[in-house]
Amino acid sequence: MQVHIEKVSSKDEEQAVIKAVEITDEIRGAIELLEGESKGFAVSRDGQTYIIKASAVYYIESVDKKTFVYTKQGCYDCKYRLYELEVMLGGYFMRCSKSMIINLRKIKNVKSQMSGRIDATLLNDEVVIISRGYVKEVKRRLGLS
Amino acid sequence: MNKLKIWLEQTMMISFAILVGIIIEGLFFTLFSGDPLYEFKMDWLQMVSIVLTGAVCSLPTVLWLVDTELPKNKFTVRIILHCIGLYAIVSLFGWLFKWYTKVDGFIFMTIIYFAVYAFTWTVTLWFHKRDDNKINKALDDIRDEE
Repeated sequence: MQVHIEKVSSKDEEQAVIKAVEITDEIRGAIELLEGESKGFAVSRDGQTYIIKASAVYYIESVDKKTFVYTKQGCYDCKYRLYELEVMLGGYFMRCSKSMIINLRKIKNVKSQMSGRIDATLLNDEVVIISRGYVKEVKRRLGLS
Repeated sequence: MNKLKIWLEQTMMISFAILVGIIIEGLFFTLFSGDPLYEFKMDWLQMVSIVLTGAVCSLPTVLWLVDTELPKNKFTVRIILHCIGLYAIVSLFGWLFKWYTKVDGFIFMTIIYFAVYAFTWTVTLWFHKRDDNKINKALDDIRDEE
């Protein structure tokens, strides 16, 4: 496959366009790499340390200065703070409230409430709240504004 | 800061709604009062009163309704209280600034108030529904398969 690189002046302009006949495993791997989904980070549970892929994370919550990472397999402790994970994971991970980061790729659907907040149902049927103040950013990340 | 922004937005929206209500009232009485000397006028004090009423009416909205995490039934009760509270504020300011002077004017203002209140919620819910559809459609394109 031919690779063209074009220099741009700002981070906002950065993008990768892949032209392919079909999405092969190699291309899927490249997409994961570019989107930061293949990034792994250390978490722990019951005294055991694990490395989990960002793509396995549903959401990350901070409670009493402790960080918890939620995946399909359950909840893990994490040594990183929310703001560190936000920078580290990037892409489809974004703040949905002061104490939570959500993975947009794990949202099944959303429903706005009269108060202006959004209830997001995840793929595991858990419902998390996207606060009114973060709704604009969700739309921006999804290319809607 | 976010609440201040919402308060300012609400002030503009409610002030505009009151202005529309007063214009409809003026138009109605101009056309149907039967008094050839009736003349609809708006002076600077009325303009100030509209903005002031909008600002006061926005406070319960920001404090009671925005970003509240209440169960649906409690939120419904809060909306009813909000509607009555705003009606009391509009009636009081309307009386103070002489938007109405007689009973028929008060009745007309009441009708306009509830119509505008219902219309505002209808439009808000419609916008929410439209936004939900757009977001859900965008999420369909990026969602992980499990």
